[in-house]
Order: sequence, then C-alpha cells, then structure tokens
Amino acid sequence: MATDFLNALILLANFVIVPGVAYGSQLALGALGITLVYAVLRFANFAHSDTMAFGTMSTVLITWWFQSLGISFGPLPTALLALPFAIIITIGVVLITDRTVYRFYRSKRSSPAIFVIASIGVMFLMNGLVRFIIGPDDQRFVDGERFIITARAFKKMTGLDEGLAIKVTQGLTIVIAVILVIALFWFLNRTRSGKAMRAYSDNEDLALLSGIDPERVVMVTWIITAALMTIAGTLYGLDKSFKPFTYFNLLLPFFAAAIVGGIGQPVGAIIGGYVIAFSEVSITYAYKKFLKYLVADDWAPEGLVQLLSTDYKFAVSFIILVVVLLIRPTGIIRGKIV
Amino acid sequence: MNSSLRAVLSFSLIAVLFLFVGFGQSWSVALSIFNLCLISSVMALGVNIQWGYAGLFNVGTMGFAALGGVATVLVSKAPIPESWAAGGNDLMIAALLTLLTIGAVVFAYRRTSKGPLRNISIIIIIIVGFAVVRPFYDPAVDAIEAVNPAHAGYLGGLGLPILFSWIVGGLFAAGAAWFVGKIALGLRSDYLAIATLGIAEIVLAVVKNEDWLTRGVKNVSGLPRPVPYEIDLQVSERFIGWVEWLYEGTLGAVSGADRSALLNDLVIESSSIFVKLCYSGLFAIVLLIVFTLSMRALNSPWGRMMRAIRDNETAANAMGKNITGRHLQVFIIGSAVVGIAGAMLTTLDGQLTPGSYNPLRFTFLVWVMVIVGGSGNNLGAVLGGFLIWFFWVEAEPVGVWLIDFATSWMDGSNPIRLHLMDTAQHMRLFTMGLVLLLVMRFNPGGILPETVHRATDQK
Amino acid sequence: MKKLLLASTVLAMTAGPALAEDIKVGVILGYTGPIESLTPDMAASAELAFKEVNASGLLLGGKKIVSVRADSTCVDSAAATTAAEKLVTSDKVAAIMGADCSGVTGAIANNVAVPNGVVMVSPSATSPGLSALKDKGYFFRTSPSDARQGEVLAAVLQSRGIKEVAVTYTNNDYGKGLSDSFSNSFKAIGGKISITAAHEDGKADYSAEVGALSAAGSKYLAVFGYLDQGGKGIIQASLDSGAFDKFILADGMIGESLVKAIGKDLDGAIGTLPGGETKGAISFQSMAEKAGIKKGGPFTETSYDAGALIALAMQAAGSADRAAIQSKLMMVANAPGEKIMPGELAKGLKILKDGGDIDYVGATSVEFNKIGEVLGTYKELEVQGGEFKTIKVH
Repeated sequence: MATDFLNALILLANFVIVPGVAYGSQLALGALGITLVYAVLRFANFAHSDTMAFGTMSTVLITWWFQSLGISFGPLPTALLALPFAIIITIGVVLITDRTVYRFYRSKRSSPAIFVIASIGVMFLMNGLVRFIIGPDDQRFVDGERFIITARAFKKMTGLDEGLAIKVTQGLTIVIAVILVIALFWFLNRTRSGKAMRAYSDNEDLALLSGIDPERVVMVTWIITAALMTIAGTLYGLDKSFKPFTYFNLLLPFFAAAIVGGIGQPVGAIIGGYVIAFSEVSITYAYKKFLKYLVADDWAPEGLVQLLSTDYKFAVSFIILVVVLLIRPTGIIRGKIV
Repeated sequence: MNSSLRAVLSFSLIAVLFLFVGFGQSWSVALSIFNLCLISSVMALGVNIQWGYAGLFNVGTMGFAALGGVATVLVSKAPIPESWAAGGNDLMIAALLTLLTIGAVVFAYRRTSKGPLRNISIIIIIIVGFAVVRPFYDPAVDAIEAVNPAHAGYLGGLGLPILFSWIVGGLFAAGAAWFVGKIALGLRSDYLAIATLGIAEIVLAVVKNEDWLTRGVKNVSGLPRPVPYEIDLQVSERFIGWVEWLYEGTLGAVSGADRSALLNDLVIESSSIFVKLCYSGLFAIVLLIVFTLSMRALNSPWGRMMRAIRDNETAANAMGKNITGRHLQVFIIGSAVVGIAGAMLTTLDGQLTPGSYNPLRFTFLVWVMVIVGGSGNNLGAVLGGFLIWFFWVEAEPVGVWLIDFATSWMDGSNPIRLHLMDTAQHMRLFTMGLVLLLVMRFNPGGILPETVHRATDQK
Repeated sequence: MKKLLLASTVLAMTAGPALAEDIKVGVILGYTGPIESLTPDMAASAELAFKEVNASGLLLGGKKIVSVRADSTCVDSAAATTAAEKLVTSDKVAAIMGADCSGVTGAIANNVAVPNGVVMVSPSATSPGLSALKDKGYFFRTSPSDARQGEVLAAVLQSRGIKEVAVTYTNNDYGKGLSDSFSNSFKAIGGKISITAAHEDGKADYSAEVGALSAAGSKYLAVFGYLDQGGKGIIQASLDSGAFDKFILADGMIGESLVKAIGKDLDGAIGTLPGGETKGAISFQSMAEKAGIKKGGPFTETSYDAGALIALAMQAAGSADRAAIQSKLMMVANAPGEKIMPGELAKGLKILKDGGDIDYVGATSVEFNKIGEVLGTYKELEVQGGEFKTIKVH
C-alpha cells in the first residue's frame, strides 16, 4: 500500500513536477526579460526570442571553439564558461539595436504599437541573421555529465517500480534561475540604478524630474535583459538542443507567462512562468497510471483520464491567457495595464 | 510630392516589375504572382481597416485566414453520408449540449453580481458541461474519423459552389472576431496584439486537430474550382480554335508535325494563362468591391467619427461615444475582409493545408505590407500588398543569384561560398526586416502615407 | 532598396543562358522548412544520378542534364506552386523531381504539373491520399504509400509478439496518415493501441507528450516522426525520464544521425524503411558515401531512383519532350527488360539508344503499378551495437 503511494508520487514527480519546474524556470527567465522591457521601455518586445536565439548562437560558437581548444568544465557543460563572453556580445548587439532603432522612437514619444512594429522588424532581422550565420539545423553543444540521477539508478536505489530522473541541465536551470532572480531583486531594490529603473517604470515624468538619466536607465535595462536572454537561451539549448526555429515558437508562451503573472512585475513573470508550465503539463497528462496506483483495482479507470489531448498543449498557454484576460486582466500580481 | 502623383508612380513601378517578370521569366509566373498579390492586398486592406480607422493592433490575421480556408471546405465539398450516419446524431447532441452550457454560463453571468459566487458558479457550469458533452462528442468524433480515414474521415461540406464560401469565410471570420473582440478590445494596443496572436494559435490548433471537421493535418485536396480546368480547356475544340486564331501568324510560319507540336505547346501555355486570368478577374473584382466600400466608409460621417476616436480617444469618450462598441465594429469588418482573403487563397490553392498557416507568412508579412505601403491609407495597403509579396517571392531566386554573383570570384568549393549559397534563402527574412525598419525610420507613413483631411484644406 | 531590386531583377533575367545542349530538370524540395536538414542530401542524390548520366555522354547524343533547384518550403502551397510555375514556364524544365512533402506535392501536381503536362516523380511524398490524385498519368512516386508501411509494421510487431503499443506521430499528413494506417492494420490483427498522441515538430519540450504516452501503460513506443525533429526529441525525453526504452520507428526516423545522437540506449529498437538490402541499395550506399551524402539518409535512395528514371525515360523517348517522357517512364521502370542497377546508368542509356528495353531496378527495386506507385519492399531493421541492421525484407 505504502509502495503504491510512493510509486504514484514518484510517477507524478517524474512526469509532471520535475518537467514542470524545469520548463517553468525556462519560461520564467524568458518572461522576466519581456516584463522588464515592458516595464521600463513600455512595449512588448516581439524580437525577444529571436535575440535569445542570437545570444545562444554566440554561446554555441564560442563553446565549439573552446571545445576545439580542449577546454572543458568537468561534469558541467563547457557552455557555462562560454556564457560570459556570449553575454558581452549579445549586450553589444542589443545596445546597437536600441541605438539604431528604438532610440529614435523614444525621442519622438511614439505610441507602443510603433515600438512593437519596429521590434517585429528587428525580429525578422535576427531571425535571418542567426540562420545565416549558423544555419537552420539542430546543433548540439552540451557536454559533461547528463544526469544528476537517472531513472534506472533511482529504481535500483529505492526498489520502486517508478524511476525519477533529473538531468544536470534541469538542475542547472533551476539553480541558475533562482540565483538570477535573487540577484535581480537585489539589484532592483538595493542599488541606485535598480531603484532608478523602478522609478522610471512607475512614473516616467516624475523620475525625469528627480534627475534620473533616462538613457542610462534604458541602457541598464537592455544590459540586464540581454544577459537574461543569453542565459535563458543557453540553458534552454543545453537542455534540448539549439535550433533557431524553436526559439521563435517560445515567444508566445513567454508573453503568456508574463501577462498571466502580471506584466511589468518581475515576481509576476516568475509566477506566470510556473503557472503556464504546470498547466501545460498537468492538463495534458493522462492520470490513468497515477490513479491506478492510488485506488483499488476494481475502481481503476479504463480510459486515459486526460483533460485535454496533447494536441492542444500549445493552445493551453493561450487558453489560460485568454481566461486571465477575461477574469483578471492585470494578471495574478496586479501588473501594468493601460 | 503630391500624393496622387506618388500613387501613380508607385503603381507604375509595380507594373514595370511585372512586365520584367513576364518577359524575363514567363507570363504564367507573372500572373501567378499577380494573383497572390491581389489576395495579399485584400488581406492588407483588412488589416489596414483595423489599424487605419481605429488604431487596432490585430496580430491574429493567421487565424482569420484559416477560418476562411475552412469555410471553403465546409461549403464546397460534397457531404459524406457514411460519416453523417456514423457520428452525425451524437455530434448534434454534443453541439446542443455545448450551446446549453454556454447559455447557462451567460445566464449565470447576467444573474449574479461580480464576486466569488459568480466565478464559482461559472466554473462549476463549465466543468459539468465538459463532463456531459464529452461522452457524446468523443465517440462521435472517433466514428466519423474512422470512416475511410485515408481519403475522407470527416463530415464533408454542403456541396455548394465555392464562390459562396468566400462570403461564408468572411462570416466565419466576423463571428470569431466578435468573440475575440469581446475579450480583447479595450486592452492597450500591444496587449491586444498578444491576445490576438494567441487566439489565432488556438483557432489554428482547432483546425489542425479536429479531423472530423477539417481533416486536420491530412489536408483536404481537390476543392472544386470557380474557373475551368486547364486539362478541360486543352481538349476543348472552342479553346483550341481561339488559340489558333490568336497565334495565326506564328502558326502560319511552320507546318505539318512542327505545327501541331507548336499548337500543342501554345494550347497548354494559353490554357494555363487563361485560367490564371480568370482567377485574376475574380480576385480583382473582390478587391475593387472591398476597396470601394472601404473608401466610401472612410469618407463618410462614420469614417470621420472613427478616425476622430482614434486620434483622440479621451475627447471622444468625453463626448459619450461608445468607443469599445465602435472598435468592435471595425474589428469585425476588418477580420471579415481577412477571412474573405483566406477563402480566396484556399480556393486558388485548391486545397486546405492547415500546416501551412504560420504567423510569419500570414501575420507579420501582412503587417510589413501595411506599414511599408502606407499605414492608414487603403491605397497604400494595396500597394504594400503588391510590393511586399512580389519581393517576398522573388527574393529567393534573386538572393541566390546575388550571392552567386558576389562570390563568383571565389573558388567553387570555398566553404564560405558554399555556406553563403546554402543560406541565401534566409536573406529573405533579413532583408524584409531591414526594409521594414528603414521604412519605419525614414518614411514612417509608408510609401503612400495617410492623407489627413483638414477643414482648412477645403478649396 | 527598390532600385537594387530592380537592377538585380533585370540582371537575373538576362543572366547565364544555358547551353543549347542542356536539358533542365527541376529539383523542387523543401530547402527551408521542417525537413530542411534532410533535403540537401536528397537533392544531391538525384543530382548524383544526373552527374552519372552526364559523365557517360550517352544521353540523347551527348546532351547534359542541368538540375534547377527550387524551394517547395514543404508547408506553404502558394510559395511551392509559384516556385513550380517558375520551373515549368520560365526555366522550361523537362520534368520535375519532387516535391518532398505530401501537401505541397498535391498542390504542385494539381496546379502546375498536370495542367502543363510535366512529369512529377516524388521521392518522399507518402501520404495515402495522393493515390487518389487525378493526374492523367503524370504523377509518380518512388517511395511507397504509407498505407503499405502501416501493414508491414503491424506484421513485424505481430511476428515479434508485441501486442500493445503507444503511438506518437508528427502532426502532419505524413505522420497522421501513417498512424491511421498502422492503427487500422494493428487492430485488425488483434493488437492494442494504448494511446495515440501527436507531437509538433520544432518544439523543444516534449515532456508533456511523453508523460501522457507513458501513463497509458504500454512498454513500447512507436514513433512516426522525423529523425532530426520532434521524433528525436520524443525518444530523448522518453529515455531521460525512464518512460520508455523500447522503440518502434518508421521510415522518417531511420538514419545514422539518430543513433549517433541517442547512443546505445537505442539498442533494440525496431524499424521499417522502404527498400531492401538488395544489391542495388548497397551499391547506391557506397556511391553516395563517396559523393559525400550521409549514409542511410532518409529518401536518398528514392531520390536517386527518381532522377535516374527521368533521365532513362528521356533516352527511351528519344527526346526531352515532356509528354514523351511521360509515355516512357512506366516502360523503363517496369519489367520486362535488362535490369539496371545504380551506377549502371550508362549501360541503361546504351541499351535504350540501341532500341532495347530496360527494367530499372535501382536502389529501391522500382516497379510501378498502373497509377505510378511502387508497392515497395520494406526492410525490417533493428538497432544493434549502435547501428541499424537489416533483419528481414518484407
């Protein structure tokens, strides 16, 4: 009886909880970048995920170079060593984009829609650029240990029927996400630049009156966002693999996560990320086996006990988004909405 | 430069480009690009109606175009009796129950006041509804999809002429737009963009997965045509006679076996061009109707009111105008136009391929058309439709040729050259982004910017 | 920008006229799109056939075949049709090798190839729906319809005593068609399908699909996808989470890059692939390897055969006339006649020049039925020691 219960728990952990947490962390990091740009620069950056692809591409290229030089990082992926350099490159690219594209519209105080259209242009540009440089194919750049614990090892250790697998990249994602979030919050709340950012985001005119330099705030925002983008993209690419096409598909879940959590609020982005990830996984999971462990055999369900087929997995994020827009448009943590 | 002079010049340029393609490649290619340009223009018009009249940022064009495509299938394909027999009854019951559930939700919404009671009762109704509908829906769907899945596996359509589907496509899109508008309008512009983008994805997910309705990813091919088939024309005495008459000179120069071979080639070529011209005619008529109606609406009191709302929402609100209601009107009309364009596209393709709807091609590209052509200007939207689609299609061969030319001094097996040749196709995306950014920066109104009518301009 | 476009358009139109001795054949595949990583090798295989023909100098008294590539995009019918239009009416190709994906293949056939009377030989469009195409005899395919692969796969499972499987397929007409065909055949012989779940290519996270698939309880997972797209992601996710370790693979999943990516965990997987371990297949593989084409790449064999058939039909017809090619294609592919293997195209050309008959066997044992489809033989494969080994031929 107890083993059945444990089995059920491990089953859920392996197929719902661990994937949900890992995916949620990835979404959270992406949503954080979106929400920061929205809060400070006041527009929805459609070029976000393609810039992420660019940052990851830089990491991949540098990682390959490191690998060819024989540099490695032990059990951890070499990409982590390449990351700081890739971040610098991405920051450069992002700042150049801001200088050449967005600054003009800021000076003209254009409407948010104009910014979004400009970001669509940047999206096309990045999309083409990444494919042009590295090509559209799948690229693997992960090395080092793959698993913290494998399903088989777990089964042997515990003697249960169900195994629990945790990959190194999943663990890394969660750990790094936590570190980044703490760092970000420390920055926003404890440093002058961070407070200037928050002030600028809350009320632009008053912030300017207090003598805050708007261009500096914008620059800091882009720097942080570029770092977030590169790290998030690299973690994602390590966990799965790098393919330019897939990054474009992440744009909508990122937006959904940011809006559901409350756009413009960093905490909201994180909550939104986990909400979306867990909903996708739990609404489409077939609970048949899980229930079989928990209830007596004659009550065991015949059907799959699946709320929505996995065909609609992609749509789940948007259904949640739409529901949130209907019931509570400001999101879970009351975010900005004009 | 005077705006009408600009318009004339721009369209002349497009005409010249088409002539180049016609002479340089072939008339068939030029016409097929032309037809797609016509469809793109209608789509761009639809988006421009929403953006230009009301400043609505709709990024969900893909979903509405897909609905138009679905309409062609549901209207023009013949019904499949076995499928109806297998699952029709259960499906009807499921539909009825769904309607009842929705009715109950609306009822609960109206009768209760805002608060936890309302939310809980709605959630309960939805859960109950779900539980009640599924036992009828699931077996019905399985039964229908089991009927000859390789070639059917769906309900079929109404068997009506396909031209009706264009209007029906517009209606489907309008209906969806009503629903979307109720949810998403009233939100800030970029919020609206994300919401519409998400809803388009939901619509597409339904179209792709509900096989019993649309065959999903298995595609519906062999849609009936509103124009003749080339192979029919090629054996028609009358048509062959026309071709002979048209090409009397060229045919007279040769004789015997050569003549019949030449005639054969000419008949094939002419049949292809004739069919395309028929499509062009139909599409051009639709474009003209939509364009004329849009222009008349623009210059009517209604149009002036819409633009006044767009330019100063606060003042309009203070005057008591029902902003959301007006926006909803425009949203529905614009989406209906996009739906019609979607139906036209599927008709031209002759098949419904849900997998081909992707946001890049349908949504973002159309936005580039509107912005580059002239945001807020209907003629500009049409121009943008032509120019950008032309460029999008021709960019691949031209890009490849450019790279070839630029690297021709390199040795044939030089890895850089090989890499560049392979990735030349992706130039398309890059240059499209560049064009958009350049236009937005240096010519934000687009090629044909919106003409602002001021009272002082009246002569 | 517009000036540049104008100038380049002008130049492009007037650039490089082909030699009068050249015959153009269109090679239209999805060079951008979901299988963009598979198509370069497919095109290269067809062009390998052309190169072989050109090197022999025997085609129509010394004429050379020039391949004209065009992008079918695999998903955008409008773009594919336009590209095909260009090939047919502007480049005036004699025949078309393509397209790759069933959806756009149907569109091109209906809108361009059949109306203009141009032969189309597809190396990889396997949707059963294409069998009903009204093509006046102009559409052929060298890869068998998935209606057959489903049957073969079901029989293979039955012979191994596998009674229950979970099925996942890539969400397009190939995957769905194959899944339907397999389910029907498997259920008809008493098998049970615990769950059927689609997966979308191009997503990076398949944990939800794998979770649902494994919860249905079966030990075996049938993956009907593409080896460098979602299919690989599903297998990886299954192995990582311990959901499945026994896999059943269809033709789109068979290839060296999969075993390289997954490693020894894939050992024991069973699969089917059109083709046989015939002499023809083996000799093509070594030819391909020498030419730099990935060994065992999906549909490279069928592409080579498609290209070869077009060239041989031209020779049999005595001209590069489109209708003439169509009239002879069936004849060169079918018995009776001297059997021609890959690498023997020169021999085939000579026999045809002298007025003989050939039966092109090629890498996939081509034999067309009356609607231009191959019945196909399938290899039953198993992964052993990190390689796909052929067990049997069905």
